[in-house]
Order: sequence, then C-alpha cells, then structure tokens
Amino acid sequence: MDIRAVLTALLVLAPLIGAILCTLLRTQAVRSAIVLATGAILMVSAALLVPLTPFKLSLASVFGLDLHRIVQVADFILLLIILFYGFKHRHLVIIALGLFQVAMLVTLEFFLVSGPTVYERINCDHLSLMMVLIISVVGSIICYQAIPYMREHEHHYHVAHSRQPRFFFVMLLFLGAMNGLVLFNDLTFIYFFFEVTTLCSFLLIGHDRTTIATQNALRALWMNSAGGAFFILGIIAVYRETGTLELQNILLPGLASSGVYLLALALLCVAAFIKSAQFPFQSWLLGAMVAPTPVSALLHSSTMVKVGIYLVLRLAPGFAGTFLSQSVAVFGAFSFLAGAALAVGQSNGKKVLAYSTISNLGLIFACAGINTAESMIAAMLLLMFHAVVKALLFLSVGAIEQRIASRDIEDMRGLYAVMPVTALITVAGVVMMIMPPFGVLLSKWMAMEAAARNLYVIIMIALASALTVMYWARWAGTLMSDPFAGRFRPERQPVLTWMALGPLCAGGAVLSVFAPWLYLWLIQPVLSGSYTATYTLKAGVLENAYGTFAILPLCGVALLGLVVAVMALKRAFKSKIVPAYMSGLQTGEPFFFLGPMNQPVKAEARNYYLDSIFGEKRLTDWVNLGGGILLTLIVGGAL
Amino acid sequence: MQAIKRFINRMRSKSPWLLHFDCGSCNGCDIEILACLTPVYDVERFGIINVGNPFHADVLLSSGTVNHRNKKVLANLYAQMPSPKLVVAIGACGLSGGIFREAYNVVGGIDKVLPVDVYVPGCPPKPEAIIDGVVLGLQKLQSLHEQPSVGKGA
Amino acid sequence: MTRTAILIACGLIAGPILGGLVSGMDRILTARMQSRIGPPLLQPFYDVAKLLFKESLVVNVWQVFCAYCYIAASSIALVLFFLQSDLLLILFVQAVGAVMLVVGALSSTSPFSHIGAHRELLQILAYEPLLVLVVVGFYLETGSFKLTSIYAWREPLLLKLPFLFIVLGYVLTIKLRKSPFDLSTCHHGHQEIVKGLLTDYSGPFLALTEIAHWFEIVLLLGFCTLFWATNWFGMVVLIVATYFLEVLVDNTTSRMNWRWMLSYVWGVGLTLSLVNLIWLHQG
Repeated sequence: MDIRAVLTALLVLAPLIGAILCTLLRTQAVRSAIVLATGAILMVSAALLVPLTPFKLSLASVFGLDLHRIVQVADFILLLIILFYGFKHRHLVIIALGLFQVAMLVTLEFFLVSGPTVYERINCDHLSLMMVLIISVVGSIICYQAIPYMREHEHHYHVAHSRQPRFFFVMLLFLGAMNGLVLFNDLTFIYFFFEVTTLCSFLLIGHDRTTIATQNALRALWMNSAGGAFFILGIIAVYRETGTLELQNILLPGLASSGVYLLALALLCVAAFIKSAQFPFQSWLLGAMVAPTPVSALLHSSTMVKVGIYLVLRLAPGFAGTFLSQSVAVFGAFSFLAGAALAVGQSNGKKVLAYSTISNLGLIFACAGINTAESMIAAMLLLMFHAVVKALLFLSVGAIEQRIASRDIEDMRGLYAVMPVTALITVAGVVMMIMPPFGVLLSKWMAMEAAARNLYVIIMIALASALTVMYWARWAGTLMSDPFAGRFRPERQPVLTWMALGPLCAGGAVLSVFAPWLYLWLIQPVLSGSYTATYTLKAGVLENAYGTFAILPLCGVALLGLVVAVMALKRAFKSKIVPAYMSGLQTGEPFFFLGPMNQPVKAEARNYYLDSIFGEKRLTDWVNLGGGILLTLIVGGAL
Repeated sequence: MQAIKRFINRMRSKSPWLLHFDCGSCNGCDIEILACLTPVYDVERFGIINVGNPFHADVLLSSGTVNHRNKKVLANLYAQMPSPKLVVAIGACGLSGGIFREAYNVVGGIDKVLPVDVYVPGCPPKPEAIIDGVVLGLQKLQSLHEQPSVGKGA
Repeated sequence: MTRTAILIACGLIAGPILGGLVSGMDRILTARMQSRIGPPLLQPFYDVAKLLFKESLVVNVWQVFCAYCYIAASSIALVLFFLQSDLLLILFVQAVGAVMLVVGALSSTSPFSHIGAHRELLQILAYEPLLVLVVVGFYLETGSFKLTSIYAWREPLLLKLPFLFIVLGYVLTIKLRKSPFDLSTCHHGHQEIVKGLLTDYSGPFLALTEIAHWFEIVLLLGFCTLFWATNWFGMVVLIVATYFLEVLVDNTTSRMNWRWMLSYVWGVGLTLSLVNLIWLHQG
C-alpha cells in the first residue's frame, strides 16, 4: 500500500470515523478519548506527510468503488440535506440556491462532462501541506480545548439533554472535510468539500438552538450557498474554456487574454470572497460569533475562512498581470481597511476578532492580487501565522468569557487581577499580531514592500495598519489595568485549556523565530515555476534587492530586551506601590475619589470606541457599497 | 562613593521640579509664584519647571492656610511625591494661618500637616523672596540623607 | 563584524547624547522666543540624572515593564538606522515602543493616564500612515527601502519629494509632541490632563521614557537627513531649519483637539502624499 495514499486517507477519513464514533458512544469520557485520539492521529499523519511532499496520486477507486461516483452521490445527498433544512425553516433563498446548485451540478455532471477529466486526483504540494498542518495541528488543539469548554458551556446554560455528541460529530467531520478540500485536485471534489464546510458551519452556528443562533445560522447557510452557486458556475465556465477539471491544469498561460476564462476565474474568486466573508458578505461571519467560541476559533478564523484564500492562491498564477489581478488587489486592500475601521468601533471582543479576521484575509487577497513572488510569500506567511495567533486569541476570549460571563472589552478591564495567566497569554497574542519580530508583522512588512508600487493598495494598507494598532493596543492595555499591582496568583483552568493555549502561544513565538526556514522549506518550493523568489537568507537576515529584515538578530535582541524588562518587573514588585494620581483625592479604593459632600465618587473613563466615526451602524452601509462596487469591477472587468 | 553622592546631590539641586498647591489661599501668593515663571523672573534658568503632578515633583510649594477639607489632599500629594522632596510654605497664611487663623475651618499653617523645610514669609511675598526660599531649600536638599514621613495632623 | 559592533555602540551612545543636546537647544530656543533666558544647554541631562536617582514609586508594575520595552524598542530602532537597515522595518520597530508606552499608560487606573493613552493612540493613528507613505516615496524614487541605497542616491531627494518632506514635518510635529498636536502629553509643564500619558510614571521610569524620547528625536531627525544626503552642509542646514520651524510652530499655535488633528493631518497629509507619489509614479 502506498504510504502517501494511506496518510491521505487517514487525514480525510479518520475524523469521519471519529465523528461517527462520537455519536454512537455517548459517554463524556469516551468521547473525550475519541477526540484526543483523532487529534493525535491527524497531527501524526500531517507530520509524516512532511518529508513526502510534494506528490501526486491518481486514485481512481477506493475499496473497489469508483471514487468519482462516491463523491458525486455524496454531493447530491448533501445538496438534498441543505434543501431539507431550507424547507424545514421555510427559507426561500436557501431553497432557491439549493435547487440552482442541483441543476448546475446535474448539467455539469451529465451533460457537459464527457469522459474522465481528472487523472491526478490527489495533489499535495507545499501549500496543501501548509494547510494540512494548520488544519491538523491548530484544528486538533482547538477541538481539545472544546472538551472542557463545552462541558462548562452546557453546565452554564443548564442544558438538560447533552448535545455534545452532535457538536463533536460536526467538528470532527469538518476537520476531515477541510483536509479533503486541500488535498484533492479535482474541482468537483473541492466543490463537494466546500459544501460540506457550509453545512458544518450552519449546524455549528445554530448549535445553541436559540432564535438568534438559528437566524444567524440560516444567514450563514444562504450566503455560503450563494458562494457555492458562484463556485459551480465558475467550474462550468472553466470546464468550457479548458476542458479539464484538474485544479493544477486549469492554469494555462495562454488563456489569460480570454474574457470568458477570466470571467470563470472571477466567479471562482467571488465564491472565495463569500467564503472568506469579505465585504459586502461579512454579515454572516459577524452573526456566526454567537456560536460557542471553539466554533469561532476553528471555522471562522483558522480554517474555514482560509478556504477562500487557498482557492485564490491556487488561481493567482492564472490571472497574473491582468486587470482581474489588479482589481482583486484593490478589493483585498479595501477589505483590509474596512475591517480594521469597523473593528475600531467595536467593544464586543469576539466581534473585534471577527473584523480583524476579515481584515487580515483581505490583506492576503490583496497580496494574491498583486501577484509577484514577494507578495505570494507574504500571503502564505500571513496565512500560517494568522491561523495560529487568531486561534490563540479566540480560545483566550472563550476562556475569559466563561469566567467573567461577558465578551465586552469594558468588562475585561483589570482582568489581570482575576485571571493573570490568561490575561498575559491574551496580551502575548496581541503582541504577536502587531509587533516585530513576530510572523504576522513580518508578512505585513513583506506585503507592504511588495505592494509599494501600487498606489491604491499601499495607501489603504498604510491606513489600515495604523487602525489595527489602535484596536489591539487598546485591548491589551485594558486587560492589564489592574488596580492592585503586586500579587500574582495563577488562576485554575482545566488542563486541556492550558494544553491548548500554551502550545499555541509558544508555537506562535517559535514559528516566528523559524520564519526564514519556513520560507525556505515550505514556501519557496511552491513558488518555483510561476514566480522567481528573490529573497536570500544570510546569517538569519532575510534580504532581497530592495528590502531587508533581520529576523534572527531582532529575535535575539527582542529576547534580550524581554529578559531585562522582566527582571525590572520583578524588582518593581518590591518597590513602594502607590495609588494612581487622582488630584490628591484618592480614597483607599481604586477608581474612587473623594467627591462633594465627602462622598466617594467613581472616576469613569471608558475606552474610546469612536462610535460616531467608526461605529458599525455608521460604516456598514458605506463599506457594503464600496465592496459591491469593487466586486462589480472585478467580475465586469474580467470580460 | 563620596563623589557619586556629591554628583547626585548636585543633580538634584540643578533640576528641582515644583508642584504648586494652593491650600485655601486668597491667590495673592499664587500669583506671585506664577510670576516667577514669567520672562521677568524666569526661574527656568535654574532648571525649575512647574509640573502639576506629585509623581514628577521634587519641591512642594504650598500657599494658603490649610483647612479641614484639604488637609487630606495635601497629605496625599506629599505621600505621592517620590523622595527626596522639599516642602516650602509660602506666605503668612502658609506659615501660621495668617489673618485667617481664628476661623473655624482653618487648621492654621502647613507645618501642622507636613514637615516644612523652608518658610517664606510675606503677604504676599515678592517673587524674589520666593525664589530665594526655593534656592535655600535646594541647599538643604543637597545635604538630605533621609526623608521624614508625613507627620502630624494628616 | 567589528564594524557592526562599532555602529551599534555609536547608535546607543549618540542617541541619548545628541537627543539630550537637541532637547536642551529646544528649551533654550523656546525660552528666547518667549523673551526669557532659558535653562543651561545641559539641563535635560541634569533632569534625567535627577530622575534616575529618585525613589521608585510604582502605580502598576506593568508600567515598569512597558517603560523598559519603550526604551528597548527606541534604541533598537536607532541602532538599526545606524546599521543602515530597512526603513520600513525601522518604522515598525519604533512603533513597538510607542504602543508599549500606550499599553503601560492604560494599565494605570487614573483617568488622566487613560485619556492621555487614548489621545496617544489617536496620534499614532494620525501619523503612522503618513510615515509609511513617506517611506514608500523613498522606494518609488530610489527603488529600494534600504538606507544604503537611499544614502547613495546622487541627487538630493528633497527636490523630488518636496510634499513628502512637508508630510514628514507633520509627523515630526506630532512625534516631538509640539503644539498643535501635543494632546497626549507635553514637554512644558503640565496641561489639561496633568501629564497625560506620562502621569503615573515617576522617578527612574520617567527618566527611561525621556531617554527613549531622545532616541526617537534622533531617529526622526535622521529621517530628515535622508532628504539631503549628498552634502553634509545641506543636511545640517535642512535639519536646523526644520527643527527651528518646529519650535516656531510650537510657540505660535495652541493645542487643538483630536478630531481636528485627525481630520487635518489625514486630509492635508494624504492629499500631499498622494500628489507627490503620483508624480514619482509617473516620473
């Protein structure tokens, strides 16, 4: 048996088996064991895949059955399930989109496609490997944290009949679907997995069965179904133009001047944008924040929304140098800017994270649109680092939310007094998002240098980057606003929570140090062929003709600075602690001063959310309009 | 070691930052104090800056009689100043309560709350006298080894 | 290797010394404009020396951590400048310091610190995009972000990037905490929110923030030197003239509020940058 086929099968099917076992064996302890085991299998398989990449397999049949048939049948069943939910909730748009997709799929499969179209079904190059590693490692860690989280969640909401079997069934199924999406080469297979993720998202958002959860789940379902509709249209158009459904083969250089081909790619891009919740399709992601936090971490920041990016990164070589590329770049930059602006006006922690996710995905799309070697490297680095750090931040917010029963940043003021370790980990996450020498900033630097010739894009990126600093710094400072400086009593959390937060935090830092080698081993091989990568690595300094980033020296110096600062911190614990300056009127209580009539009065200072400028109500219509115009440019301009 | 101590003391006297607090004065003394900052007297020549924040201040310039309400504020401000620090009481009211000494709400002088280092009498004292008082206090700062804590009446 | 070590040492020494001297000149010039005599030239050094030996009073231990991060980041940024590294990288490293200062101020419970911190965030929001666009301007003209290439350029960059120099002037005014943009904290005495951002820093930690500010001053003046890098005399004249203008603006304007700052700086700054960048793009 070919080890590569075995590993691929494990990556896609092991979660499926785990999912089925979770529904069959309904005890808490057994379920936790199954989840832990599945995660471990995924991580080991992904690790074993590393030395074997790149490879291509032509897998025609599994256990004697034609693979193509299996997926075809499963695809129709899936669309029928979506239609079922559409009918159950009497949602006309879902029904319409479901029927449309069935019709298109029927047209494609039975009337258009003649003969086998895909020869190398499985293609695992380094981009797929990167995605597999993110899904398997980060995804498994999130599932681990979900175990104590869901237990506490159901206890808190007094759920009589535990719905955790269903929850973990869908979570594990999702992991398998994601792995399948990035490993297969056949566009219809990718479409099938795309729809599976849509269904999983719908089921998980509506998990709590409250009215608002169901509403938001339906919104996610119809929007992602619209994405699916664009996808299948794009596939049909691509097939008409190229005669093949193999992802690697549709990128033929000669076709870039053909209007219909570019339109096909544009349609696929629009499907990707919907999946990644870019403007004007962002409302489903915002609504999805009502789901339990592991769902937000897994689907809506680390993996599912990365599907759109993965697609566009694959397609990018196909539209290099065209107007489509330029308009995708401008659209991505606009998303980056609009997401950052909207995040400034938010005080709900999860919504800040959601807008930040949309924003960073926009930046990756912009990089894909700029379509040079440096921007593609930046896109892939940002993909990886963003997945890790954002997962960390979502899980931290989940842990915080369960302790203080609120998601609002204002309620997290002085969190250090209540949950010092989690507060520190969250601050570490924020630092990893905005500061050098960490990976997210490295990729932003690279993106800016790559985009510098493109005036529209660089101006929006510059503005957005300043806005990102604002909302992250505000959050980090609020967490550390502890009136009682000096004590440090680590709080108690379930072991699995520490096992999730710790590795992610350490992973973010360690990966940043190893960023140069990630570039050399994982990213450079993907680019060879379509792009000529120009960065050289000498003594830990990443350099090319016009830019240089001294990664390792900076990491070393940063570590040194950290050690000095921590030593100073320890000395400061022994200093005299005094109350903050309140014009001499401080009472013994923090925040309180002696007011008129000798009564203590609380000094209130809220964070600046600048609601009148950056508030959601104020900006949403405008950014939707902007996004709509740019999208029309993209699709229309392709012709 | 001695050289370093001498250097540190010299630095302290070359950069005295003021905190000006009015404990119920009629503002006559305060206007004279602020006049010191103007171009006519220009105390910035001595490195003196009027910072409004006890955390940054070395010298507490206090005018006015102290009353039962703001004695707590005065004590708080003094406690929030990092040592080494000086207290300079300005004007007749600051010394002993001045003409308001008999009033029911008056504590009667800054030294009833804080340990005062320099007294600048006058009603109001001239800016030259105030500058003279601060400079005298700086000489005292040079030979200061320990810091008295907040004393009576806080 | 030794060359690198010498440059690093130069950076670490030149920063505080030059920054302190510039700061002293600033105060003397301000005093003369106000018909006063002003402090001695070395006054900032006396101030910092005095502060370093004061008692440490701490409001929140995290402020100590943040003060050290601020000075570490500022000094590293200046050292990178001396090592002629990448301009965009230097910008990001220096931003670390600015952000850590804000986080430290937010970690105090005093409302003065809090408001000062938010005003500082708005100031960062105002100047950071413009600074990035100035750096992009250098790239469009010289084809590189690296300081080695920019210093090697054969003609003075001021001729091709005049509007971007004006934009850098705005950034300089904000970062040097000069009126009308001295919202978050101010050099001269106190202001409406006491010392704003720096209210709860005292003693040695205030000294650290002051030294870090000196590093920033030298770094920003270094940015200015890039505009006339061909000739020493021109460079010095440019810096002296720019700094004189800054002090003049400081003394003749009064503090405005953040809304005006954001709209004015973004409005004027982005327009000027856009015009200059379009010129460079076409040329």
